[in-house]
Amino acid sequence: MVGIVVVSHSAKVAEGIRELALQMAKPEQKIIAAGGMADGSIGTDAMRVSEAIVDAMTDAGVIVMVDLGSAVLSTDTALEILDENLRARVRIADAPILEGTIGAVVEASVGSPLEQVLATAEGAREMRKCL
Amino acid sequence: MTEIQLVLTNPTGLHARPASQFVQTASKFKSKVKISAGGKQVDAKSILGVMTMGLRSGTAFTVTADGEDEVECVAALASLVESKFGEE
Repeated sequence: MVGIVVVSHSAKVAEGIRELALQMAKPEQKIIAAGGMADGSIGTDAMRVSEAIVDAMTDAGVIVMVDLGSAVLSTDTALEILDENLRARVRIADAPILEGTIGAVVEASVGSPLEQVLATAEGAREMRKCL
Repeated sequence: MTEIQLVLTNPTGLHARPASQFVQTASKFKSKVKISAGGKQVDAKSILGVMTMGLRSGTAFTVTADGEDEVECVAALASLVESKFGEE
């Protein structure tokens, strides 16, 4: 089952999204929050992200959900730190972080492969709310 | 092809957790499963599709399954809806 990492500048945002996503997850599913800096301040920390990716890793791989700007840069740096074998099984989703995480978690929960979980996360960009 | 008409009686409707339960249940079966309401139809195994339908409590919708396990699939989804997704 594909693991999910939630990277936000705010630890509370990352934790909150994880908390919400867990409502839809299977009990054994890995959703790891990597928000804020090590001292709790606002920012994104490549080390925390790389540790979260390792924690979330499964045979099926990991999708990283990011909030804004430097979250992507920190995740890129986190990937450089990682072993090449792990890196090959990680995708960064270009998606809204909350909606994308929910989509990814549900897609992963039914056992879909990495690229399909990524497609669902990114498909959340097009999701209309007010019909 | 097996088809059933259902009415959402849980308070939330087919959003959030109920939507994910619906998709997870549909995905257990090999059959192709669709839901339709108000002239729209989506793949019941697609969380984005189901969430985009925005079905509210009290709404009637149709579940259609096509495949070797279509009867069991429709029965499982009907049972989930009738159980109000465990909300009450």
